[in-house]
Amino acid sequence: MDTKTIEIEGKTIDDAIEKACQEYDLPREKLNIEIISEGSSGFLGLVGSKKACIRASIMSIDLTMESPPKERMESTFTAAQSEKADVPRTEEIKESLAAKAKEKLDGILKRMGLDFPVHVEETSETIILKIEGDGSGLLIGKGGQTLDALQYIVNKASNKNGKGRKRIILDTEDYRKRREKTLIALAEKLGEKVKKTKKPVTVNPMNAHDRRIIHLALQDDKQLTTKSRGEGAFRKIIIVPARKS
Amino acid sequence: MKELITYMVKALVDHPEKVEVFEVNGGQTSIYELKVSKEDIGKVIGKQGQTAKAIRTILSAVSSKVRRKSFLEIIE
Repeated sequence: MDTKTIEIEGKTIDDAIEKACQEYDLPREKLNIEIISEGSSGFLGLVGSKKACIRASIMSIDLTMESPPKERMESTFTAAQSEKADVPRTEEIKESLAAKAKEKLDGILKRMGLDFPVHVEETSETIILKIEGDGSGLLIGKGGQTLDALQYIVNKASNKNGKGRKRIILDTEDYRKRREKTLIALAEKLGEKVKKTKKPVTVNPMNAHDRRIIHLALQDDKQLTTKSRGEGAFRKIIIVPARKS
Repeated sequence: MKELITYMVKALVDHPEKVEVFEVNGGQTSIYELKVSKEDIGKVIGKQGQTAKAIRTILSAVSSKVRRKSFLEIIE
């Protein structure tokens, strides 16, 4: 008898169980169902929605006695935290996000033919992956676009199942810090220009992170105000002289 | 290159078993045709094409190293 166990995700637990039944082509009474995580639709079904995850296997002995999956499901539900099988599972998720992200990045780098070592640093909100570069800048690209693209893909791939999301930041050759310095210098230079000419200056379109650095660099300057204008990728900063009050 | 695309896309989609990449080689250029399960097309393209753009950026970075041009097309 086939005793392999599969893990299935679904919008809700019922949804996942149904999928499991289809997978084995058996009614749910013939399946062992273990709930790994209950789904939640999150806030208004928009923020923080989670998928339900179950583990299913074929019942080895045909137990037609009581303990139909439905009841079993509910009991696991309430005792989810104390259930033995659940404990290692949650720990695994917590520690594995950084490891998973690193593994994904390693995999991509290897296939790019850039087999550089990656160092992991973790804080409460972010995971920083530092790639030891060879100084060629190939990983950074024009205006950091390659590094940003990699960061985006690693974020997407690692935070796919939405458990314990964390922001993943990629860095190489200290690029992020260098970029910040350049941007602050640019902001100050443009700020001076605005003060001298008393006319607004528009900065090139930038991503949210870069814009933030410019806003922060000029926020203490009482003679200037910064605004963002435009949509999506075209959003850019305008530095304007502050109105005298 | 083909492996790189396959690896990245498989990490992003819900049905990795349905990911297929076909390679069409020309003189200086290569075209990669990516085929994924219907439900996953949106995931590969992303919001305002952001994911597709990111994959293409990485692709062009790698191909610039070998002095070639690569294009990625997502086919249904």
